[in-house]
Amino acid sequence: MNSKKEKRIGIFICHCGKNIAGGLNIESLVESSRQIQGVVYVIDNKFSCSEDGQVAIQKAIQNQKLDRVIIAACDPALHLMTFQRCGKKAGIEPGFVDLIDIRKWTMHGSPHRVDPEQAFEKSKKLIELAVKRMRLKRLIPLVEVKAEQSVLVIGGGVAGLEAGLDLADKGYRVYIVERLPTIGGKMALLYKVFPTNDCAPCILAPKTAYANIHPNINLLTNSEVKSVEGYIGNFDIKVIQNPRYIDAKMCTGCGECIEKCPSRVIDNVYSAGMGERKAIYIPYDQAIPKKAIIDAEHCLYLRSGACSLCEKVCPTDAIDFEQRTRTIKLKVGAIIVATGFDEYNPTEKSEYGYGRYDNVITQFQLARLLDIDGPTKGKLLRPNDGREPKSIVMIQCVGSRDENTNAYCSNICCMYALKHAQMIREMVLPDTEIYICYIDMRTTGKGFEEYYRKTRELGINFIRGRPSDIIEETDTRNLILKVEDPDIGRLLKIETDLVVLSCATIPSSGTRQLSQILQINLDENGFYKEVHPKLRPVETNVRGIYICGAAQGPKDIPDSIVQARAAASFLDKELREAKIKLPEYIVKAIKLN
Amino acid sequence: MKQDNSQSEPIRISKLDPKFKSEVMKHKDAQGLNACFACGTCTAGCPVHEIFPEYDPRKLAKMVKLGMRKEVLSIPYIWYCVTCHNCEQRCPQNVKFFNILNVLKNMAAKEGYAPSPWVEQTQQIMQTGIVFPKDEELAKKRESFFLPVLKSDCKKAKKLIELAGLDKIKAKKQS
Ligand SMILES: Cc1cc2nc3c(=O)[nH]c(=O)nc-3n(C[C@H](O)[C@H](O)[C@H](O)COP(=O)(O)OP(=O)(O)OC[C@H]3O[C@@H](n4cnc5c(N)ncnc54)[C@H](O)[C@@H]3O)c2cc1C
Ligand code: SF4
Ligand code: SF4
Ligand code: SF4
Ligand code: SF4
Repeated sequence: MNSKKEKRIGIFICHCGKNIAGGLNIESLVESSRQIQGVVYVIDNKFSCSEDGQVAIQKAIQNQKLDRVIIAACDPALHLMTFQRCGKKAGIEPGFVDLIDIRKWTMHGSPHRVDPEQAFEKSKKLIELAVKRMRLKRLIPLVEVKAEQSVLVIGGGVAGLEAGLDLADKGYRVYIVERLPTIGGKMALLYKVFPTNDCAPCILAPKTAYANIHPNINLLTNSEVKSVEGYIGNFDIKVIQNPRYIDAKMCTGCGECIEKCPSRVIDNVYSAGMGERKAIYIPYDQAIPKKAIIDAEHCLYLRSGACSLCEKVCPTDAIDFEQRTRTIKLKVGAIIVATGFDEYNPTEKSEYGYGRYDNVITQFQLARLLDIDGPTKGKLLRPNDGREPKSIVMIQCVGSRDENTNAYCSNICCMYALKHAQMIREMVLPDTEIYICYIDMRTTGKGFEEYYRKTRELGINFIRGRPSDIIEETDTRNLILKVEDPDIGRLLKIETDLVVLSCATIPSSGTRQLSQILQINLDENGFYKEVHPKLRPVETNVRGIYICGAAQGPKDIPDSIVQARAAASFLDKELREAKIKLPEYIVKAIKLN
Repeated sequence: MKQDNSQSEPIRISKLDPKFKSEVMKHKDAQGLNACFACGTCTAGCPVHEIFPEYDPRKLAKMVKLGMRKEVLSIPYIWYCVTCHNCEQRCPQNVKFFNILNVLKNMAAKEGYAPSPWVEQTQQIMQTGIVFPKDEELAKKRESFFLPVLKSDCKKAKKLIELAGLDKIKAKKQS
């Protein structure tokens, strides 16, 4: 394969219009490249990637009998494939076509840009090294391995479900691992969703219910991924399933046990702290799976051996205090990570008094209060005295667009603030005044600007300013805040019954640990990082592991769905042959079970 | 002093000084200015704005950006800041308005816009080492509390003031 004969290397130096040619002397670079040992041909192109440019490369390969090609142009992540395909057409193995980036030294806006002399020296050096590499290079042998026709989806929110259902319909065996006792994620807790204000459980239920009965889907709730080994086509997974203390096959979801359970606790997950549940509970009416679960921390029997009332009343004998954590081993061909987001805890922004003032709540808490199946059955009352609020102030960008917390825009909070204002005005408390204090109102999705207009038409007050702090009046427990309204050029002092903070969307807890288990990169904000923000948005640095939904960055439901479908489609492309060619060293280095 | 309140006239951009911003931002302390996105958190929390609505950090930041050099440096309000640092503390973009204001005050002083009470105070410190003029009432009060008579050692203060060049600042001409 690798003959001792000296290689015939051709070098193509690209102008990239003025992007490269404007920042260094191409002629001298051509001249210096000709001097390198092993190089038999050097020429420059105006645009190497253009049709003409590629034809020129192919012609040179044939006329000059080149067997190695180096293109000095732009970022390999962008165009290496282009040139490898081009070379292949002229009979050169992809491994013997190399693309090196010299444009980064010259292009306007590049963080690496340097002056023309330095750009020349650096490019010359890079070309010399590329030639050296190419002269020594041998083809990496590829071996064909089988690709399991099964998929692990981590996170059973709307994104994970969408991707899982798509793949299950295509014929893959899909394991959905969800750490909560139910699937559906945040969407299941929203009641209404913008921009159409349809009932979220109603449009989600077809997906959750289908996932529950799909012959190709295994739901593993109450479970987390513990370890991942292997490579695309052949991942060995260990999943830990925490005990429910209920035999799920027996439980009919009748709720008799819940009625009798004497242990009440604040529900921080499904009610966001706005309501209670029992130690044995079913998260909500449409929960899937609709099976009871015992919270061991608060169960009197599991803590001290007292009680066991639930066991006595359960008509099907489903209670099983003996259940223990189980390890489940899976073999899958690829993984989709859809672990979603958490709401930022605004306690840190102490100027707004969250945690100190009872009548300061978050938008997610408000969402739970507005849910007719939520902890208050849709009643909106002040937390401290149960009174109907006569006025409500919403504060936008809390913990977002803030250099001291999260610098990015959380993308969805403008829209859900508008939604909640509409819901309160139209369905709950039509006479309550609502003020939204915002910096910029971001309503860029399809139908979103109309949604904003509708909110204005409902008489909601918009103030383009941000309060500096909130003070609580001790006797009334009302909240006082000042905000400058630039429209009238005056400071407003608002005394209000309830303040709602539109908090940032942050990566879900455990994202960092999971990224270490999966060996995939995080971006500067702690979300999973895509290979390229524009061109490769659902791939990660590990082939065979894809990301979608709010786990990749703050996102609404429509965008989560689009990304889930994209991830499923890409995954299918990789696995559908049921076999895959991989470099031999990877297959040799990683031992599988 | 009366402001030129010809607010009905539009501000002519061509009459402004677009270099003003970079002049201000040359100072290390003022480099956050461009990041300001006019959220108004500074203004909402400024105790001075509450009493003098004309004093408005959000507006001042914008005026500097637009190049309203003369207007910014000549208005008396920039000297009203009580240095509470609220604006700086609460700003989500780390603009550090308080620091920018100091840069503006230095520029204003250099250009002869320092308010006369400020200049008088400086002279007072140079002469007596104390901010307030000698005051019989105060002396009596101190005595009744058994506090020592205030000695005025103004040498060090004078030296500092001279080093900083504060003694050369001229008060704004009253018109
Ligand atoms: C108050 C509020 C109102 C909103 N209103 C709307 C609206 O009206 N319209 C709209 O389009 N969008 C709305 N959104 C946004 C919407 O919630 C998200 O777009 C959507 O939930 C994203 O779906 P997801 O599946 O990516 O993430 P999630 O819904 O967060 O689902 C992720 C799932 O993964 C699970 N998980 C997390 N980590 C792990 C792990 N390590 N292992 C296993 N499982 C894990 C979680 O338990 C969860 O079930 C709103 C958001 C908020 C906060
Ligand atoms: S045994 Fe535990 S879960 Fe069952 S009723 Fe008693 S406290 Fe509730
Ligand atoms: S979506 Fe709106 S409220 Fe949320 S961070 Fe962006 S601008 Fe602020
Ligand atoms: S708080 Fe900061 S960003 Fe907001 S207006 Fe003031 S200086 Fe600008
Ligand atoms: S430091 Fe000055 S400008 Fe800033 S808030 Fe306090 S008084 Fe206002």
